[in-house]
Amino acid sequence: MNEELDSQLSAMFDDELPSAECELLARRLSRDEPLKARWGRYAVIGAAVRAERGVRLNARLAGRVSAVLSTEPALAGTAMAQRSGPFAKWWQPVIGAAMAAGVAAAAVLWLRSQVLPEPGPLITQAGAPATAAASPASTAEPDSYVVPQTPERRVVVPSTELANYVVAHSEFSSPVARRNLLSAFMASESGTAGTPAGSDEPVEDAQDNAKTTQ
Amino acid sequence: MPRLRSSARSSWLGCALAVATVAAAEEPGKWLERMNEALTTRNYDGTFSHWQGGKVEMLRIIHRVQDGAVAERLVSLDGSGREFVRTGSDLACYLPDKRTVLVERRPAEESLFGGFPAMNEETARFYDVKEVARTRLNRRDTHVIAVSPKDEFRYGYRLWIDDSTAMPLKTQLCDGRGHVIEQIVFANLTLSSHIPDSDLKPEVSTEGFQWLRNESLAPKGSPTSASLVWNALKLPPGFKMTARSAQTMPGSTAPVDHLVFTDGFASVSVFVEAQPQAAADQPPVSESARVGSSSAFSTVIDGHKVTAVGEVPPATVRYIANSVKAQGSEPLLDPRHPR
Repeated sequence: MNEELDSQLSAMFDDELPSAECELLARRLSRDEPLKARWGRYAVIGAAVRAERGVRLNARLAGRVSAVLSTEPALAGTAMAQRSGPFAKWWQPVIGAAMAAGVAAAAVLWLRSQVLPEPGPLITQAGAPATAAASPASTAEPDSYVVPQTPERRVVVPSTELANYVVAHSEFSSPVARRNLLSAFMASESGTAGTPAGSDEPVEDAQDNAKTTQ
Repeated sequence: MPRLRSSARSSWLGCALAVATVAAAEEPGKWLERMNEALTTRNYDGTFSHWQGGKVEMLRIIHRVQDGAVAERLVSLDGSGREFVRTGSDLACYLPDKRTVLVERRPAEESLFGGFPAMNEETARFYDVKEVARTRLNRRDTHVIAVSPKDEFRYGYRLWIDDSTAMPLKTQLCDGRGHVIEQIVFANLTLSSHIPDSDLKPEVSTEGFQWLRNESLAPKGSPTSASLVWNALKLPPGFKMTARSAQTMPGSTAPVDHLVFTDGFASVSVFVEAQPQAAADQPPVSESARVGSSSAFSTVIDGHKVTAVGEVPPATVRYIANSVKAQGSEPLLDPRHPR
């Protein structure tokens, strides 16, 4: 691997690579097996070893790029789009301008959008125990490794543009879907409402506390 | 002859079984129709929890039909105290945390709480509707109706429908594996013959609030481009384009092409707008997003930004958006008047 590519990988880890180059490198990663392998090593065992060469590990970015690698080439730009694409504004808080645009635009005040969970972890060689490969003390290149999945879901405020689209669409969605959407709009931003910590499933009803009358 | 009779008997039995099967299949569909009717024609006042993405919000819904006029109020009982109040075609959103009231005109037939699409032969090709259980919920006898997608392009529903009132006491939106991704459960629900006006008034004091009105979202007749007509070359099974229009979004002057696709239950909107020159010079990228339980996907095709939004799995909006292409000219239709 030449130094230029290595440098680009390093810059990508640092989230400092220009968007156009990120796009190209992500596409190349999707089809260049040696480069893909190098990326994986950065992500998993590189923290300690590569730091000596000035490469810093950015786990979130590693996860995002691993997602690029596991999706079809046509979507290769997705991972980078959050910070560099022409739609990057989707992920940035846009509140001030929303107010003047009316109800639909102001949906941005309530609408919470979640970046889709990343696809499964990149497994470059099947059957490899991740823990064995992930030891930072090892300087030998492992036979196999697994790029850990980024578990984080980034909750962001979408732009007025997306809010407008969603509201415009709601006029044609089923009544149940529309109701759900409005309920989601109503969800408070204060964080006072929520399931118990760690709960990821809907809580069953406390039937004794409920009533239905006619 | 015995063989003939036997054959005839078999044939008759087959027909009888088929009729019985159809009747059995219709029964869960009937419950959906009853539920839809109850939701849209009855007066009710209830408190329910809305769960999505690990977060629960308590809300109150008040629905009144009086002299043919529908009035509704949806209130957040947690935190913000926000309210939606609809009277006729006016939808007012009270945002006490922003000291703002937003008013938008919407189609009068819309319901904040909503109903459920009717089951027909077309939708039956892509969804199974079954009564999977009869159980008690909220001390009421309920029929649990499952609407299960037959492929991965759509979501399913489970509904706990009250035996005597046909109101849905609990609804779940499920992914293709049956995992719950959104849930609404009533904690209490009252059906009454009369709901006073006072119950439909917002509780928040609007003194000193800013009022913002928006009359837009009405489709405009002008096309976004005289030479380009957009269409989806490939669609998931069962989806059809039911509407097409150009409309101007709030806060924008440029018209956007709006295409609507539906399989009878689920719907997907596709918005197409020309890219500004500066953005067009950038490498095209694609993005996905979740909006509640709905999905959104945006990409760039032929210098235009194409965004698909719908209450379907992410793969479905991605599939549809990526299949959109510009074609020959075609007259535009109003989305509210499908072809």
